[in-house]
Amino acid sequence: MTAQGALTSPVATGYVAPCMYRPAGHTAPPRLDLLDPFEVSRLGGIEVTTEGVVEGFLTGLHRSPRRGFSVEFAEHRMYQPGDDFRYVDWKILGRNDRLYVKQFEEETNLRAMVVCDSSRSMAWTGAPDTTLPKLAYAQRLIAALALILLRQRDATGLITFDDEVRNVLPPRARLSHWRRLIHILAGMEAGTGTAAEPALRRVVDQLRRRGLVVFVSDLLLDRELALKALRFLRHRGHQVVVLHIMDPAELTLAGPAEARFEDPETRAAVVLRPRDWAGAYRETVRTVIGEWRLACRRHGIRYHRVTTDTPYGEALREALAPPPRLA
Amino acid sequence: MIGFLQPWALAGLAAAAIPILLHLLARREPPTIVFPAVRYLITTTQEHQRRLKLQNLLLLLMRTLLVVALVLAAAGPTLPLGGVAGHAPSALVLILDNSPSSAAVVAGSARLAQLLEAGRRVLGRATPDDALWLVTADGMPRRGDRETLREQLDALAVSPRRLDLGTALALAGEVLAPEARPGEMVLLTDLQASALSPAEVGVPLVVGRFEEPPPPNVGIARLETGPQPWSSQGGRVALVLAGDSGAAVPLSARIGDRPARQALAQVGGTATLALPGVPSGWWTVAAELDPDELRLDDNRVGVVRVAPVARVTWDSASRYIAAACEVLASSGRIARGGEVTLGRLARGSSVVQPPDDPARLGALNRALAARGVGWRYGNLSIDPVFTDSGPVIGRERVLRRYQLQSTGSGRTGVLATAGGTPWLVRSGEVLLLGSRLEPSWTELPVSAGFMPFMDVLLNRLARGEVTLAVGAPGDPVSIPDLVTVVRQGEREWRVEGGGIFRPASLGAHYLIAGDDTVGAISANLDPRESRLLPAPDAQVRELWKDARIVPLAAAEGEVFSAGARGDLRGPLLWAALLLGLTELGLASALRRQQ
Repeated sequence: MTAQGALTSPVATGYVAPCMYRPAGHTAPPRLDLLDPFEVSRLGGIEVTTEGVVEGFLTGLHRSPRRGFSVEFAEHRMYQPGDDFRYVDWKILGRNDRLYVKQFEEETNLRAMVVCDSSRSMAWTGAPDTTLPKLAYAQRLIAALALILLRQRDATGLITFDDEVRNVLPPRARLSHWRRLIHILAGMEAGTGTAAEPALRRVVDQLRRRGLVVFVSDLLLDRELALKALRFLRHRGHQVVVLHIMDPAELTLAGPAEARFEDPETRAAVVLRPRDWAGAYRETVRTVIGEWRLACRRHGIRYHRVTTDTPYGEALREALAPPPRLA
Repeated sequence: MIGFLQPWALAGLAAAAIPILLHLLARREPPTIVFPAVRYLITTTQEHQRRLKLQNLLLLLMRTLLVVALVLAAAGPTLPLGGVAGHAPSALVLILDNSPSSAAVVAGSARLAQLLEAGRRVLGRATPDDALWLVTADGMPRRGDRETLREQLDALAVSPRRLDLGTALALAGEVLAPEARPGEMVLLTDLQASALSPAEVGVPLVVGRFEEPPPPNVGIARLETGPQPWSSQGGRVALVLAGDSGAAVPLSARIGDRPARQALAQVGGTATLALPGVPSGWWTVAAELDPDELRLDDNRVGVVRVAPVARVTWDSASRYIAAACEVLASSGRIARGGEVTLGRLARGSSVVQPPDDPARLGALNRALAARGVGWRYGNLSIDPVFTDSGPVIGRERVLRRYQLQSTGSGRTGVLATAGGTPWLVRSGEVLLLGSRLEPSWTELPVSAGFMPFMDVLLNRLARGEVTLAVGAPGDPVSIPDLVTVVRQGEREWRVEGGGIFRPASLGAHYLIAGDDTVGAISANLDPRESRLLPAPDAQVRELWKDARIVPLAAAEGEVFSAGARGDLRGPLLWAALLLGLTELGLASALRRQQ
């Protein structure tokens, strides 16, 4: 497993990663939310890099109407290139022949709980030199998500678990609460097994009224039990978001001519020729993801598959996307 | 029964185990990879294990079968198949009977022409993969490709040599024995009954024969010139006719260029003609018939030696020698005189027999040495042996004999042997007998062959002449010692005395020793060639089992199909290609699935 970065490592001023996205002619500092997560991790510890990611993410949001689940309409402003057409006010366009977009403002406080899987399987990466372990990626993603929520003055809490619940941080809306959350994230260590249900049920104790639950896991667990707990949360009126963290190397099967593949948690093993089974494995993964997606949709749970090479900004957009309107 | 052209290639079948071995070797302990999504792998394998195992087994089977098919194709398998258009690579011996009987003319052309045409058609069906031999009356198998043998057929003429069909088939069998390819024989012949002899035929045999009957024929089977030498008063020749015609035919005989004498004779009968006297020397006697459809046997030659009879001095004390000489003298075959001394060593030509008293042997040997004779008497052998048959003497029992030992001096030669060792030898003008001509030494004096032996001994051997032999072209004739050249007209052959000479052509061949003519060979057709009647099919099948007798024109259709074996190399290579493509398709499909 890749070692965690130091919490206080400063961002190298003016550092521009080779693969950094920057529009032509643009002189603004690079947006960390659009960088390769592995490159971002090389810039510093969770705290610092997360702030950079969030800044970049929010900057991107300012260029377009705010999107989120806790905002209401506030005012209009002139359309700028890059704005989403969904927020164009067509009535004004019809009357004045001018393009205006609607802007939103924050709603009342939201209570959110992030449930993070820290089992041994989360500590795995298929390419230690180029890809973060799933857990490291999850830590940074959760940190960024929490910072965004806290800046919106949404109370945010954290539960970590492996084969049992390891940490429970109740939701608080103070920005300083983020430091405590970061502290827990940085101190996380990969456990052994995975038991998501108890952790998800602990959410109920922390969220007395309806709120947001973000479940971050590689979903290598007992699906039925996990779904049962997620359905329970949904039944309690919470919005539930499942972020399925996957390593790109988990999507395809590769390796030597023949290999013994061993599960780091259960020690279960299977001997096979990757070349013979790659196609079938790919199909199986696609099926499993499809089943998760279908099961979640059926119960009003938002499911997003996030690979560890996905820039944080993109993952955050997925996580913070507005819920689908239900009839 | 399946056969293989290169059976050694079957050893390559071991290569069929390579895919299986690779499969087994690849089953070693694989490296361990930590992989969190093993549960997905387990799900995958549970769903696809059976299908993949089946596909892998199918691939393994394809690859193994591919190797097997290629190896089998390399081994060249053949199967007996009827009615196939092509034929497997075969080994074919074409026996073309160009013996003298093939010169018989039918409907304006020699029968050989039809045989050659049939032979060309047979060769026309051969392929470059076939091994081909041509055997003709000369008894020499010639190997070549189709075009080469066709050229040889184009140049083939009637041979003066008889072809014994059984011998030819046996020779063809020997030629085919080492061949791995399926063998076959084709015999194109006039199928003379007189040419048939038994033979073990182990391969398919097609006999192409004429459908039309042979023409009637009469030939001179024998020409006998009687005892030699003839006197200057002339002599008689006896002529025997052979053939299939019963009518009397006119014949004539002449000596040298003297006028011919004529007579009328029938097949099987003997005609005796008196020929006029000629000066001393070697003379050719030629007999001739009126021409018929087979011209080759209408002539025959013989050689006679014309000379005065030998003048002999003999020892009256030797009972058997004296009696024989008295008889020869009374019949005019010898005369009393000093030209040849019989029984002891004397001046001039001498025929020496060993002394009765062993004590006198040393003196005799010394006298022989003093005379420069290259032989001496050695130890006495008392084990009974037989003389070895030859032109001088037949098979006679010898009870006692002295070993004749060469001293290595002078011109020497062995004229007769007994038990494989010299018994009658010559050195210059001196002849040495190993045994005394008495019944206690040899049974010759009391046998029927004694008088002819004495005649030859005194009239020819003692005078330096050796033999008058008869034979057919190609027959082996023993060449006496001292002969260095065989001459026929302007042609000469260098020979080694004591060896074998085979006359290549018809006619008189003279044996030359130094400047002297010491004998002659009369080479004439084998009299059996004059009988053209073909053998019935039943007899042929009895002698050569499973022979397929067909008309000459149908032989080409029967050849190769008689032993036709379907070549399985093509189908196997196609099967290998199909297997390869299937394997490729299956493997590609598997890869696509992955």
